[in-house]
Amino acid sequence: MISVRGLAKEFPAGGGRVAAIKNLNLEVAEGEFFVIVGASGSGKTTLLRAVAGLEVPDRGTISIGGRVVSSDAPPAWIPSQQRKLGMVFQSYAVWPHLTVYQNVALPLTDGTHRVRRGEVEKRVREALRLVQLDQVAERSATLLSGGQQQRVALARAIAVNPGILLMDEPLSNLDARLREEVRGKIRELAKQLGSTVLYVTHDQVEAMAMADRIALMQAGELLQVGTPAELYHRPATTGVAEFFGTMNWLEGTVTAPGVAETAIGPVRFEAEAGIGTEVLIGFRPECVALLAAAAPEKPNVFSAALKASVFLGDQSLLTLALADRVISAKCRGADVDGGPLRVWIDPADVMVFSAERRLAGGAADSLFGARAAV
Amino acid sequence: MKARSIESPLFFVRRSTTSPGLLFLASLPIAVIAVFVAVMIWVSFQRGMLGTSGAVYTLENYLALFGDPFLYRVLWNTAVFTATTTVVALAIGLPIAWLAERTSIPGKTAIYAIMTLGLLIPGIYTAMGWTFIAHPRIGFLNRWLMDLFGLQDAPLNIATPVGMGFVQGLSLAAVVFILTAQMFRAMNPSLEEAAKVHGLSFLRTIHRVTLPLALPGILAAVIYVVTIGIATFDIPAIVGLGNRVYMLSTYIYLKVHPQGSGLPEYGITGAVGACMIVVAALLTLLYGQVLRSGHRFEVVTGKGYRPALIELGGWAAAGWCFIGLYAFVSKVLPLLLIVYAALTPYFAPPSIEMMRHLSLVHFTNMEWGLVLRGARNTALLVAVVPLLVLLFAFAISWLVVRSRNRARYAIEFAAFLPQALPEVILAIGALLLALFVLGETVPLYGSVWLIAIVYVAARIAFATRALNGSLLQIHREMEEAAFVSGLSTLRTARRVLLPLLRPTLLSVWIWTALLVYRELTVAVFLGVHDNITFPAVIWSYWYAGGMNKASAVTLLMTVLLAPLIAAFWWLGRKTPTATQ
Ligand SMILES: Nc1ncnc2c1ncn2[C@@H]1O[C@H](COP(=O)(O)OP(=O)(O)OP(=O)(O)O)[C@@H](O)[C@H]1O
Ligand SMILES: [Mg+2]
Repeated sequence: MISVRGLAKEFPAGGGRVAAIKNLNLEVAEGEFFVIVGASGSGKTTLLRAVAGLEVPDRGTISIGGRVVSSDAPPAWIPSQQRKLGMVFQSYAVWPHLTVYQNVALPLTDGTHRVRRGEVEKRVREALRLVQLDQVAERSATLLSGGQQQRVALARAIAVNPGILLMDEPLSNLDARLREEVRGKIRELAKQLGSTVLYVTHDQVEAMAMADRIALMQAGELLQVGTPAELYHRPATTGVAEFFGTMNWLEGTVTAPGVAETAIGPVRFEAEAGIGTEVLIGFRPECVALLAAAAPEKPNVFSAALKASVFLGDQSLLTLALADRVISAKCRGADVDGGPLRVWIDPADVMVFSAERRLAGGAADSLFGARAAV
Repeated sequence: MKARSIESPLFFVRRSTTSPGLLFLASLPIAVIAVFVAVMIWVSFQRGMLGTSGAVYTLENYLALFGDPFLYRVLWNTAVFTATTTVVALAIGLPIAWLAERTSIPGKTAIYAIMTLGLLIPGIYTAMGWTFIAHPRIGFLNRWLMDLFGLQDAPLNIATPVGMGFVQGLSLAAVVFILTAQMFRAMNPSLEEAAKVHGLSFLRTIHRVTLPLALPGILAAVIYVVTIGIATFDIPAIVGLGNRVYMLSTYIYLKVHPQGSGLPEYGITGAVGACMIVVAALLTLLYGQVLRSGHRFEVVTGKGYRPALIELGGWAAAGWCFIGLYAFVSKVLPLLLIVYAALTPYFAPPSIEMMRHLSLVHFTNMEWGLVLRGARNTALLVAVVPLLVLLFAFAISWLVVRSRNRARYAIEFAAFLPQALPEVILAIGALLLALFVLGETVPLYGSVWLIAIVYVAARIAFATRALNGSLLQIHREMEEAAFVSGLSTLRTARRVLLPLLRPTLLSVWIWTALLVYRELTVAVFLGVHDNITFPAVIWSYWYAGGMNKASAVTLLMTVLLAPLIAAFWWLGRKTPTATQ
């Protein structure tokens, strides 16, 4: 549905030039909810604006629904107006001189994709009903709360039946509680309408909660594209792993198939790695299981000492000492006493990365295709 | 409960800090203005021995005023003048503001520099210069055109309401620029992008989104210019008085300083003033209304905000030609002509022949006694007025923004009053007060202090607005942190507030000093002999027909002004000033 090939965009910045997007490729399937996530300044907005036709790329081709909308060779350009998009801006961009109704109606009455007079009313009412704003249709747009304005922007974007919805951090101006509520609704609405969505956010929780697929963006490039579970459990690099959640890291050397010798003893894993390679072992805090003192002996069981524990309600955050290493663990309940503990790390949950790459400065690549225990 | 125990002592501190002294400082200038207005209205209903028990209370002044057929001519002139001013100022200021804020035109700092300089160079310079250019008798452009096309009559006439409106418009274009540039800057570009993405063409976006959003800003600028236009004195005086073309302000001047053997008609002056107050107040109300509807449009912009500039390409050169032409026509050419006039014995169109007659005769023969008296008075005013303005304005701002005093709403409203009142009105009020109320008991008439009082009153509104803006930006907790650490109110003001406010205070100080330095209206209305100011000296030469002498004094004054402008410049790099 949306296809981006070799996209590049630079901006002039203080004499020099800064590359906002470098040689980026992306495919979004029809009806997919696709989330682009990345740190501030990684180029997410620029990518979205290039797709919308608000930014002219330096290089690369963008096509929407099989039609090339922007290309440098052969040169092609279809202006924003003719791309038939719906877009929700970060600042909502709700037109303050119009009412809620007029905001949603303007693209239908004055835009490229005009509809018949009788049709306008029906379409606007329908869009407002979908975002539950039909009660305030005649109100001036400036008299609405932030959450309501956000919904006006959403209604305006879906009213033209665009097929493609672009959203740039639409929830970042809402407070935390509202954000959680709205993100479910947006996904639900998009699925109901069958829209293809390109959604930008810097919040990894939001990304995982909403996306069919996620692309993690860094410094103008996509680090990894995949389903939320893939990115969480099978990150391609240590950088991706850390972006989506806390990690425990251990350096080690592979001594036998599926076994690495580390500071806390031999750690078993299920991925494949050549004997003798230096590796970086990683596992998430929630993959550390507390065992009963009488539990039978098995691989990857370590004895640990509790250093600190933080009670969070649904779970506790533990800081454990394993040999001379400190790791963090998450477990249910608060009744961990100060005595010696035994913990188990499922070999299926252990990620293995090549250590050389990391030492060489870049993020370590997952050479061995660490398998996830989904 | 915790919040309460922290809140209440502070609340107490804050309450107790609204000292009577501060309240007094804040209300003094407001009271003075109220007295001016009251006296004017009072006198407007009197005939006979004004201000004494011999006065007769009557409506006759109003009847005489509105029965005077000449008044209607003056009103018509004023209307044409104001309309021309508005059109010219808008036609120049608005496009330049749009260029500077919304397009990719290079050299934006230079544009701002040119337009700010436009604010600093007094309108009387432009008026004098344009008299030399397009006066029917002496204007060199007229002579050239007549020679070139063999014309019998001068094709251009600056001494008409339209001509004067043109000159005033050149001078106010800078004000329009500043006002509308702010508006363009505050406009969220994603509003236009949203229109684009949802299918609106460029023209429809302009029509349905950009213009409706810009309208309040443009309208506010129009009202602002009209408010100045209907009461402005200096340009109508410089160009029109000698040629017997009168505006409202010069009409009033005639009533106070009648030509020939007539007697001043103070009662009628009061009546005109009272009517103007009503008009000015209505315009100000309208202005506030329009501005408020504009602010309604300023939605919060998130961090997605990034102005998307319109690529001009080759049109940038055309844009710069327009700006350059404006600078040349409104500032450079008039100043050059003033220099030329100052260095020639009599005024004749510039020619090779005239270059041989260049001389310093106007400087060697300058009446130094008069000029020095003017310089001394102006120096005194520049030294005293800005400081007083800052003192009063700070008291008002602090009360309005920070205190919980109930009087603050009244004070806030009253502080904006002088904004509505043209200088002419304040000048008449002060004149009538000095003549008919204070009289012999407090001999202020003819004293430079009377002028100083009016200047302070007139500048309070601007200073208060600027200070309000910066005080609002300084979080209240900055001061509260000082209170909690045990600093007294005075010390908090000195150690915390003043340093934070310093850029604004400095720029208000400089700006006020500049305006005082060049002010003509009040100085002419209240000037007698001892209290003549520098600009009033220029004016008196000019009015008496000594255009070259006046130019020589102008040149002198400009040279002396340079350090002040340099200071303004240096400070302006750090803090953008508000408008006036
Ligand atoms: N119009 C512009 N002019 C100059 N630099 C720009 C412009 N737009 C983007 N950039 C630069 O390009 C880079 C990417 O910016 P972009 O806005 O796409 O980031 P982002 O991922 O959306 O960040 P955020 O999460 O903060 O919104 C940044 O370094 C930014 O400074
Ligand atoms: Mg962004």
